[in-house]
Amino acid sequence: MSDLLLDVVQQVLNGFLFGSSYALIGIGFTMIFGVMDKLNLGFGVTALAGAYSGLLVFHLTRGPFVLVFLTAVVSAGLIGLVIELTCFRWMPRDYPLAPLMATMGMLFFIDEVLAHATHGRPMAFPAPMGELMMDLGPWLLRGDLGFMFLVSLAVMGGLWALVYRTRLGLATRAVSQQPVAAQLCGIGLRRVNAAVFVITGMVGGVAGALIGSAVGNLSPLLSLPLTVKGLVTAVLGGLGSIPGAIVAGLLLGIVEYEALYFFGIGYRDMITYLLLFAFLVFRPGGLLGRGAPH
Amino acid sequence: MKRLARGALLALALAALVVPPAPVPADAQERVVKIAGVGAMTGVIRGFGINSKAVLDMTVDEINQAGGVKLADGTRAKIVTTFADERCNAEEGISVVRKLASEDWLVVIGPTCSNVAEPLFGILQRKVGDAGDSGLQFPIFSDTAIKPGLAKLSEWAFRNVPHEPTMYNHLFKWLKEKHPDLKTVSGGVESDFAHSNSNSQTMDAAAKAAGFEVLGWEKWLLNDTEFSTQVGKWRRAKPDIIAISSHPFTLCGTLREMKRQGVKPRLLVGLTSSATLETMAGCGPEAEGLIIPTGFAPVTPEAERVAKIVATKYKGNVDLHSAAVYENVHVLKQVIETSGVEAKPATVAQDRRRIRDGLAKVKEFDGLLGQVKRLDDRESLKPYVFAVAKNSDWAVLFDPR
Repeated sequence: MSDLLLDVVQQVLNGFLFGSSYALIGIGFTMIFGVMDKLNLGFGVTALAGAYSGLLVFHLTRGPFVLVFLTAVVSAGLIGLVIELTCFRWMPRDYPLAPLMATMGMLFFIDEVLAHATHGRPMAFPAPMGELMMDLGPWLLRGDLGFMFLVSLAVMGGLWALVYRTRLGLATRAVSQQPVAAQLCGIGLRRVNAAVFVITGMVGGVAGALIGSAVGNLSPLLSLPLTVKGLVTAVLGGLGSIPGAIVAGLLLGIVEYEALYFFGIGYRDMITYLLLFAFLVFRPGGLLGRGAPH
Repeated sequence: MKRLARGALLALALAALVVPPAPVPADAQERVVKIAGVGAMTGVIRGFGINSKAVLDMTVDEINQAGGVKLADGTRAKIVTTFADERCNAEEGISVVRKLASEDWLVVIGPTCSNVAEPLFGILQRKVGDAGDSGLQFPIFSDTAIKPGLAKLSEWAFRNVPHEPTMYNHLFKWLKEKHPDLKTVSGGVESDFAHSNSNSQTMDAAAKAAGFEVLGWEKWLLNDTEFSTQVGKWRRAKPDIIAISSHPFTLCGTLREMKRQGVKPRLLVGLTSSATLETMAGCGPEAEGLIIPTGFAPVTPEAERVAKIVATKYKGNVDLHSAAVYENVHVLKQVIETSGVEAKPATVAQDRRRIRDGLAKVKEFDGLLGQVKRLDDRESLKPYVFAVAKNSDWAVLFDPR
């Protein structure tokens, strides 16, 4: 097998596994949009802040990764709730842009809090898989990315069960499809919205902790890339579609890795955004989203 | 009559107590020399600003406790400081310096980032005394912004930063002498950061000049998190030396990925700005053996003393960037005391010019590591050492002083 083919397959493998982090972030964006029809630009930084909370507990207790992970999940859920209150519930309904701008403000606010608390310095994050590499014949499989992929699969399965097999999921889908009718049926809109923010926040916490362990460091530098990549994933997958976000995240990972390999860093992001542009023009509903008129 | 005289005396005494003293002439008021620090205090580069501010506070406190600076008429003035946040953003940097220039600050130490320094120096008057140039006439003495050659942009711009071409030329030459069997170098650079980018070119030229074959440069961005593609190319190229021109966040990412993929070059060379405790905090074990030329290490009694006080009392770190603040303040003290600075509200413009002219005349001074030579292009030639990462700390590998 030629070196080129080996490398191309290796890039597909890496991109596919790393794409699971995009998928997790994309799910958060898409779920909130699906339920509220609004974007939460503070979601990426919620994931990061959750990971930092886990790191704080690690520094205080030197506890196992499970404790770090659970702290990240719970605190990101709470931050999600705070964002729901401050950026959505308390915002005037007459100004549709208000929540969007408020979440943008929250993104920079939390980011700056993290920068102040850490002086902007990168901080080592515990990595349960260490530098484990597995040989798959001529290819290498990163242990931490494999772990991230498996956990992502579990989270996605859990979310699917939550949305399609629980009363809360039923209520969420009802609010997503017909909010007025759902209210008339006695579903508490505020309660569902709050629950969605907590749940997506927790998904963000999972993503933050997994990305932190895969990167090996946390830095406030991560918040903007998480936000941008999460948004791109959500749009490519189709805003509101959880399966779409999963497929788009994995696809985006592969496209980025191949673009980097063939064209270099200067073109990687350019190709990503060209892809986004092409989708918006030719398939604005995304891969699996609701069809949108051209 | 006697009673009247006694009453008058009493009235006079009361008046003396009640009537405020006549205003003291401005000249006789306690005078101060105002030196402003400008650096990144927010955002991810905040650590640099915090260290610069800590060293500024420490140095000024010491000078003030020792009596301050002597002005032209022989009076002694305390140094007063402020520290403005440029956020590593060019517009912000220009804005804060314009504000300081509109007030009575005499000189600026800073900024942190080269991408701020470059446009900032561009708004200064290019040639002193050029009546047709309305640029700011405000001396700036940089401590951190390290991209080579910036001071030439204006005769009001001065820098006391390590001269990277000299350091890397020496480093690669020394490596060639010590390891004549090593032939090839591969590089990596975070290509969207001005200093990293310019330094990769410096490393590239230095390696070639020393007789190494440079196999190529892999690139990534400042906030990238995954480096398997770039490291995979190093794995295939099998260079003897890998030179990484990036700051701690991506440096640590690449070092981790190298460990994962089993990429073990014979030597590792890093960027000057990564010879800090940040790198050790982020990836000390992975950085083992990393060699970096640096303008600061606690290798002299004074350097050791300053580092200790700044760390314990001012909660900052002295590194190759912040160490320059200590030197700059002492140079400014010397210049102020010898160039006729008056530090009066009416002489701000003249004092700025005196400081500028005084700085231009300095040919050398005592730095923390030894004699610092001043060059005609208003840059410094500073002593340096080669540091190596050892047991999650920095040690001196070679001291060429």
